[in-house]
Amino acid sequence: MKLRQNHNTAGFSMGEMVVVVGITSALFAAAFASSISLQQSLAGVDDFFSTHLQQIRIIDYLSRDVKRSYSVTTSVDKLTVTCTIPNYVIQAGDSDAGVGNANVGKRRTPTITPTANGAVIDYGTGTSSVIYALNNQTITRTENGVLTTIAASTDSLVPETIDTELANTEYTSSTVTFMPKFHGHGNGNGQGQTDPSRTGTTVFAKAYLRNKRRG
Amino acid sequence: MKINRHSETGSVILCAIAIIVIISLVAAGVLMNTTARYNATSKQVKAWKEALYAAEAGGDFGYVECRKASSAPGTQFTGGTWAVVSGAATPTWTLTTPATFGTNNSLSASVIVDQVFTDTNSNPFYRIRSVGNATVYGLKRVGMDDRMNATTRGDSLLRKIDFNYDHFIAAYGDGDGNNKQLLTVTTPKISRRIELIAAPVEPFEGFLKCLASFSGPGSAGVCDSYDSHNGAYYFCANNPADPHYLDSRNGSVSVNTPTFSQGGTIYGDVSTNGGNVTHSNSSITGTIDNNVSFTAPPVVQPVPPASNPYKPGSPATINPSSTATNSGTPDWYLYSVLDGVTINARTDASGNPIETYVTVVVTGNVGKITINKGVNARIYFAGSLSAKARDIVNNNVDGATGVKNADGTPSTNVSRAGHFQFMGITPTDGSTQVIDIAPPGNVWATFYAPSATFQLHGNPDIYGAITCNNFTGNGNTGFHFDKALRGTAGPPIDYRIASYVEDVR
Repeated sequence: MKLRQNHNTAGFSMGEMVVVVGITSALFAAAFASSISLQQSLAGVDDFFSTHLQQIRIIDYLSRDVKRSYSVTTSVDKLTVTCTIPNYVIQAGDSDAGVGNANVGKRRTPTITPTANGAVIDYGTGTSSVIYALNNQTITRTENGVLTTIAASTDSLVPETIDTELANTEYTSSTVTFMPKFHGHGNGNGQGQTDPSRTGTTVFAKAYLRNKRRG
Repeated sequence: MKINRHSETGSVILCAIAIIVIISLVAAGVLMNTTARYNATSKQVKAWKEALYAAEAGGDFGYVECRKASSAPGTQFTGGTWAVVSGAATPTWTLTTPATFGTNNSLSASVIVDQVFTDTNSNPFYRIRSVGNATVYGLKRVGMDDRMNATTRGDSLLRKIDFNYDHFIAAYGDGDGNNKQLLTVTTPKISRRIELIAAPVEPFEGFLKCLASFSGPGSAGVCDSYDSHNGAYYFCANNPADPHYLDSRNGSVSVNTPTFSQGGTIYGDVSTNGGNVTHSNSSITGTIDNNVSFTAPPVVQPVPPASNPYKPGSPATINPSSTATNSGTPDWYLYSVLDGVTINARTDASGNPIETYVTVVVTGNVGKITINKGVNARIYFAGSLSAKARDIVNNNVDGATGVKNADGTPSTNVSRAGHFQFMGITPTDGSTQVIDIAPPGNVWATFYAPSATFQLHGNPDIYGAITCNNFTGNGNTGFHFDKALRGTAGPPIDYRIASYVEDVR
């Protein structure tokens, strides 16, 4: 009997397999690399906007407190801002808190005293102190000793504020920058304050002290 | 025959579905992130800022009415929906219908104004409380951007959004704990609350206010200040050890244009409106601001009250009536020209001068005039004033030594310059009023003439204060602002916002 030869056992040659495996590996590698890049890009963009929102928050906090301040001082390195703010709301322990703290939470009526240098509007005997400071990776706001973290990022958020006092007005100029995760090498190691990647993130605001108005 | 069946089933469709699912998940994640970010940046931040704009706009609504206290007293709080709040301890007004504005009326402001203080000259101070509301658009379900870390709350500490209920009214009621209630909001909103104090602007708050230009003093001249509560003027502005040193450095000059020219030292602040004054190109001890504008209202010819008409005659000597010892009932005189006139004070039984109040209206020019000790003369003039400094005689003394009040008590009206007030009536025909003072001599007086060109020749010293249009006085003169004029030099000419607080609860 003549055996029938089974011609269906044909497979791929070693060469074909090598080519196919090679191409497949390249495709998988490309897909994998693309996926990683996409993830990193998404994370980078998400991180960028997240930090940008924190920039806005820092500026908004600062502007709000500067506007209602009696005075503002900034440190030489521009990283610490101290606002002196009227005590508008009566707090427990204040001299006018009343019996059983009956007046706590009420708005204080100011004492007005005309003087040779103009009327003095005084909301109570003391003032509140609000200090903004950079503390490692966080920006903190401390009001009368109570610390609140208002921004936190690993992107080296740096708020800088300068205070300008003139004859009848005073204002602060604030900038907040950060170093995005994806950045160029700029003019050095990519961490300098003048690095283009950092300066490109600058958010700027100018806030006038409403209690020191012109004219 | 064997038929080979080639299976046509495969995994392509599964692969395609899997890829679509993966891409959809990625897209959904991106959308979730971007929506939250977009909501925060474009909607919530915007509304939070606009709520303050609305509150400050409401403050301006109130401020406009406060300013009418000096410019149009009878029309205060009468327009729009302003209404008097009945039963309040002090005069209080409110906008009964909150003002709406912004895109699609997304902003509104409600305002309440009360008279929080009245000074010794019966000038009211106003407190303006304004609440600004801004609609928060967008999807409220995405919430706020509070994802810094597990313990840090981010935006919600700063931007307090009322998604369903008004948190402020629920927690603080009207701000003082009254009428707390759970108030549903129809759309998400942000409210911000500010409180302003509007204080009167006095006619004289520094030595000089010029609406158009300033040139002076000469290279050897000075501009400084003193306080006549401490007695007569002496120069101490360069001596920090002097007890009155701090009172000597308020000889401020304000110009409402860029035109400012200076020779001698100004011991005080300087402001211009668009000028280029710096410490390096000037001799100014105080601060400099080149971005300050101001107004000085015109002077209209006054009319005496019907109960106190003009006294008759035009003598060379004025001897006021007994009622003139009350500042509320001064003697009124009407002249076409005032030149060579002496005004005497009332005296008590011992011959001591009594503070005596005289108002003179001059429809023409003013020349030589003498006021004796105790006289408070307010001279309104429509023409020009031209005289030598020695002929504008003010025989009062700083400190009011020897002068009594009508009730016999010693006078506390200490300012020598404050006893002699010149008011330049603003010409209605557009002509220029001129105040021209020549040497020799010195002048103790105040000049409020916002339409006048003030020319000071030579080296007379002026003690008091000046408001004018143009000022030229570049001789070696001394300009000495008497700080005691504050609060005594007449009714307010305007109002300013003197205090600003925000209720951040």
